Amino acid sequence: MAAEALGEERPALFLRKATGLVRGWSVRDSLIYACLATNFVTLGIYEFTFAGPAFPKGQLITAVIISGVWVSFLVIAYTGLIVTIPRAGGDYVWQTRILGSGLGFVMAATGWWFILWLWAPIYGNILSVQLFQPLWATLKWTWPTGGAAWFTTHNGIFVVSLITIGLAGILVSIGMAGYAKVQRWCFIGGLIGFAVIVGLLLFNSRASFISSFNFEAHKLFGMNNAYAATNHAAAKAGYTTSPLSFGPLGPTMLLVPAMMFFILWPNWGATLYGEIRGASDFRRVFAGMFTGLWITVALTVIFLLLMAKTFGWGFYQNLNSLDYNATPQFGIWPYPFLFAAWLVHNTAFQVILILVLSLWFFGWVGTLFLSSTRVIFAAAFDRVLPDRAAEVSEKRKVPLYSLLLMLLPAVGLSALYAYNTTFVTYTLDATLVIAVTYLFSAIAVVVLPWRKRELWEASPASKVKVLGVPIVPVSGLITIGLLVFNLVEWLKNDLYFVNKPSSLVYMGAMYALAIVLYVGARIIRSRQGIDLGLINKEIPVE
Amino acid sequence: MIPVRVFFATDIHGSEICWRKFLNAASFYKADLVILGGDVTGKVMVPITAHNGHWEVVFGGEKRRIENKEELEKIQTQIRNRGSYPAIVTPDELSWMSKEESAVDERFSAEMLSSLDRWLDMADGKLGGGQIPCILNGGNDDFFEIDPVIESSPCVTFAEGKLLDLGGFHLVSMGWTNPTPWDTFREAPEEELAPKIEAVARLVPDMERAIFNFHAPPYGTGLDEAPALDATLRPIHGGAVMKPVGSKAVRDAIVRYQPMLSVHGHIHESRGVKKMGRTLAINPGSVYGDGVLQGALLELNAKKGKVTKYLLVNG
Repeated sequence: MAAEALGEERPALFLRKATGLVRGWSVRDSLIYACLATNFVTLGIYEFTFAGPAFPKGQLITAVIISGVWVSFLVIAYTGLIVTIPRAGGDYVWQTRILGSGLGFVMAATGWWFILWLWAPIYGNILSVQLFQPLWATLKWTWPTGGAAWFTTHNGIFVVSLITIGLAGILVSIGMAGYAKVQRWCFIGGLIGFAVIVGLLLFNSRASFISSFNFEAHKLFGMNNAYAATNHAAAKAGYTTSPLSFGPLGPTMLLVPAMMFFILWPNWGATLYGEIRGASDFRRVFAGMFTGLWITVALTVIFLLLMAKTFGWGFYQNLNSLDYNATPQFGIWPYPFLFAAWLVHNTAFQVILILVLSLWFFGWVGTLFLSSTRVIFAAAFDRVLPDRAAEVSEKRKVPLYSLLLMLLPAVGLSALYAYNTTFVTYTLDATLVIAVTYLFSAIAVVVLPWRKRELWEASPASKVKVLGVPIVPVSGLITIGLLVFNLVEWLKNDLYFVNKPSSLVYMGAMYALAIVLYVGARIIRSRQGIDLGLINKEIPVE
Repeated sequence: MIPVRVFFATDIHGSEICWRKFLNAASFYKADLVILGGDVTGKVMVPITAHNGHWEVVFGGEKRRIENKEELEKIQTQIRNRGSYPAIVTPDELSWMSKEESAVDERFSAEMLSSLDRWLDMADGKLGGGQIPCILNGGNDDFFEIDPVIESSPCVTFAEGKLLDLGGFHLVSMGWTNPTPWDTFREAPEEELAPKIEAVARLVPDMERAIFNFHAPPYGTGLDEAPALDATLRPIHGGAVMKPVGSKAVRDAIVRYQPMLSVHGHIHESRGVKKMGRTLAINPGSVYGDGVLQGALLELNAKKGKVTKYLLVNG
């Protein structure tokens, strides 16, 4: 029998040789996960095109920092849950365990399964605007008809969505083993690409950028004096930019719900942890997510400051406003990294930079359906879904039925997204539904010390205190504040587009579907003599 | 013929709260018999240092000073509920144990066996002196010294290597697994596992009504997915990369013999159900550290020779 002693002066515990005594996963891995999840390139820059023009009096940098501070409390709250109940399955496990089976299922099914159908075309559109459109434009490819602009058409958006869905489906089928390595290299490559952009913007003057922009715009799109033309077109459309500053706070706060599109996800992957938990665990779990979040915030602030310095703040916002008003300057999405690449008049360099920066997309797209298939499996094992939903083919190890439950609706929603002109504006629905799921996890963390007292008292999370007050439940309360603030703004303010009746019907239908599935399963299983109410019923101890 | 209701749990790893729940599971789920599939003993021993008039312990990452016996009792219960063994030692004993591995081994064994003794006494009271059949098995993490202790219990049946008749069903059990990175007690290469399985499978008179109670899950079935580890036993890529670690010999045996039911444990993260031909294979998983007893509630029909109902529960 081997023994291992832990502790500083004298051993705090002895471990014997036994299965599963693994070391905690590295902070670096957690950091990369958090950073790719709060993907400032694919999600952040994409969202700025909408957020800046929608709230012209708001200040993006301030909004990003406020969001970062507020979401830091969500990181603390989730760290508390992770170290107290360290299980794969995250929100589903915590909510079913702390709040109840039915609620847990509805929140997990909507937030980790149904809404991911909508993320598929959103990701597809991001792939289109950050890879296909700039690549086609740079290479001046004219096939399909319209060249780069074809990707902005209904067919273009749909085809790229299908490519994205296919890619995510294949990656789920082959498993995470190979993709995990790809992910790490994508992160490194993506950072190198961003460093090149920083260098270009830092060491070139505004005059140099204007000259390059005009030169390349003429070369690729035949437009004369494009820089001035952009500002003129925005002014003509009635758009007025606020100069870069840090206030006023009121309009800036309205940007916070939009920032959630990319900044709300530092907790995305950190749900697995070792069996033996100690005081340092809280710090390690927290450090990974928190550092990942603040790297994202830092990259975003650097990017925005460099935009202001080299592009000109007004020009950057004008570019976005033209796209926001459905009149993009070159007929394609105004990808700022493409315009930064124009500072080097070399097509090969521009193409390589576009490809390297697309690693931010490819490093994360593989996880699109991963959590969904896990929720489907969990629901099938709980007998809420038919057993077949958890089947994995013997030969190819493909979770065929769960994949179909993801792929088919995702294809349908992609068609709606591409061909129904209003559906595309429901992009923030994808954030809202997950925020509701988070809200219930935040409630779970607040009630945890009362609902699961022993578990809480034994958790390293209960020992983390400020002035004698445990900070995890307090952070849960602050997180509830963040999520309620966002939900209220999303639902009352027309500018986020999520409160349209059809959007509300769409989201309501998802909750209704989850409730119908759960209630239906309870009834059907009850007729079969299986009581689903027993699943999470605690056996008495005495 | 009345169906038989079975509650199966596994891998409680010394968690006293899970053991108590296991003993109450028969009445709670109205089960006719209960089976614990192995890895009964804990992995961690927490020293409580006795000083003049007080005790000291580091638990949950926090150093605590214990002033009276009531508090001492409370902390011992908390330690046991988490699957650890409290060991009251003098400062000198602790110093000696921190230097001498054999002293730790000796104390660990003593604590495990006395804890098991206490558990079996509890079982006697809870199970009506054997009125509710209770079947226990070793797992790869259980050292061999526990076998005779369980064997000697009047109300618990030790199942390792035996054929047990469960009112029309035939249960055979094996706690051995294929090799792990931790070099545990009951593990053997696949080529040695196959004859061990063969030896118990040969005892079964009728595979239509057979239950395999093998601690190792069958390889590549989704019941055996564990986080892939690097050379330092750290999960790769944040635990997102899973790999099958079950036994190929167990898998081959299930495919070949096609028992009615096959119950497994060992891989805590891999809670699930898999249909392998006519065999229903189940791993209820384990979250013993949370004080939650995961299990499988099964209804068996001897006439049909099949599992008519199953439900994975978190009790």
